[in-house]
Amino acid sequence: MDLQIKHTEKNEQTIISLSGEIDAYTVTKLKETFSTTMNSEGKDVIVDLEEVTYMDSTGLGVFVSALKTAKENDGELKLVNVQDRVYRLFQITGLNEIMDVNKAAIRGVNE
Amino acid sequence: MENFFKERAEEYKKLLAEYIETQDEKALYEVELVSKAFIKHNILPEEIINLHIKALKEIYPDLVVSYEHSMDFLLEAMISYGLAHQEIQVLREQQIALKSEISIAAEMQQKLLRTNKPEVPGVDIGVISVPANQMNGDYYNFLLNTDGSIGIAMADVIGKGIPAALCMSMIKYSLDSFPEETMRPPVILNNLNRVVERNVESNMFITMMYAQYFPNSGRLAFSSAGHEPGYYYNAVEDRFTEITTRGLVLGVSEDAEYEEKELLINKDDMVILLTDGVTECRDGERFIEIHEVLEVIKQYSHLSSQEMVEQVYKHFERLQDFKLQDDFSLLILRKTV
Amino acid sequence: MMNPQSCVKIQKEWDIVGARQLGRELAKEIGFGTVDQARIATAISELARNIYLYANHGEIRYEIIQVPEHKAGLCLIAEDEGPGISDISQVMKDGYTTSGGLGAGLPGVKRLMDEFEIHTEVERGTRIRTIKWLR
Repeated sequence: MDLQIKHTEKNEQTIISLSGEIDAYTVTKLKETFSTTMNSEGKDVIVDLEEVTYMDSTGLGVFVSALKTAKENDGELKLVNVQDRVYRLFQITGLNEIMDVNKAAIRGVNE
Repeated sequence: MENFFKERAEEYKKLLAEYIETQDEKALYEVELVSKAFIKHNILPEEIINLHIKALKEIYPDLVVSYEHSMDFLLEAMISYGLAHQEIQVLREQQIALKSEISIAAEMQQKLLRTNKPEVPGVDIGVISVPANQMNGDYYNFLLNTDGSIGIAMADVIGKGIPAALCMSMIKYSLDSFPEETMRPPVILNNLNRVVERNVESNMFITMMYAQYFPNSGRLAFSSAGHEPGYYYNAVEDRFTEITTRGLVLGVSEDAEYEEKELLINKDDMVILLTDGVTECRDGERFIEIHEVLEVIKQYSHLSSQEMVEQVYKHFERLQDFKLQDDFSLLILRKTV
Repeated sequence: MMNPQSCVKIQKEWDIVGARQLGRELAKEIGFGTVDQARIATAISELARNIYLYANHGEIRYEIIQVPEHKAGLCLIAEDEGPGISDISQVMKDGYTTSGGLGAGLPGVKRLMDEFEIHTEVERGTRIRTIKWLR
């Protein structure tokens, strides 16, 4: 199963829409996307996970390092439209307490 | 080498002439053997084309000039293939060397991480941990404390392969070096969190469930650092309950706090600790549900704990067509008195 | 005993063709067979393309080597004042260039020829000297 990555710039925000599965095989692609989008100052990145059906723990690792990069650059990282199965992973690991993870869409995305 | 090439070159010419004459399959089969011998002796494609050109010229001394040019053209086009072939050869040898190094490393890892399952009266423990690939990213550890309590760690390194394995060794040595009086689950997780936070890259972290069991009283204290929930089986009520605590995975934030919960277990009750390799098993395209795992455990609960975990593993190995997606670790502790 | 040098400047991609052409003529003159002529031409391509891609301009010099009653060979010297190579051992490793689709790279040149020497300094340039002996 593959991972599709779509990229849109909207106002001061970057929206990364993912679809497919995030695992050890597809994670490199996602890592590259983050490293190219997150290195500028004060950027807000929204990751839309509506179409992500599966994510394993390697995927979590990439989000954690993306969060660190965002913080270092005074930017923000937001995860939206997270499916139940994937959300559970954030919940178990306690990462939903240090990360902005939302089950629902937020205004401005998917309109 | 020179001789080998000359002999085969003669054979090639003979077969080529034979084939042009008869279009016989036998000549084709024989040239296949010649070609294999060439490969074995690292003869490059451009040399074979050169051989072909020479053979043709000998068979047809008045070969059409434009045809001859076309063969020279082909020879030129094959040079890069020859180079690519040589490169792949070298890379293949390197890969074989790497593979054997990794398998030695995997063996060392197993030795380094070896832990003895405590034999304590009144407690029946079974444990299994199978890596999906050569190196295991899951880890369990037992500690027998002087107060008679048993410390049990079940952990999963996020990230796979060799980096994960190295990280595990670090955890193991930290665990072994903590003074015994600090062995309460939240304290252990706090200490480990600091070790991991300081020493590991930001995209790698560890989830761990740490439990401390007191065989005399049947008291179980546990604390989770973002680990897959465990389960408590109450034999009288014949019911499973999830056991977990709030707490962040190890290695992400220095300020993480860990809480502790307690449980009193009675005769024939079970405590089940596992990693996500168990809960994320797939049945075809479908992910299995946790209650399916628990049902399988119950189905084998007449066996000893060790037989139980082995049978459960076999069940899911079969279900996944013997191809594990993730490291699989399962631990069962049952109170027998 | 050495012949006077010949030289081809590399500034644009088509100069690579000229460099191959001269190399092939010299190889033929020395008495190399078709296969070795093709190998020498390919080695020149790699050297010239490296100059064209990374240093913008430079040159390839040719020397015919004659050791009386002993052996003959063709020596190629590729020289540029480009950025240099910061990690030679990395560049000389198999699998380094092909992944980027740049061709056989320097390990390829080394394989095609018999002797190979490289001197490089970051910000100063690179000089590669390589010889093919007539067998």
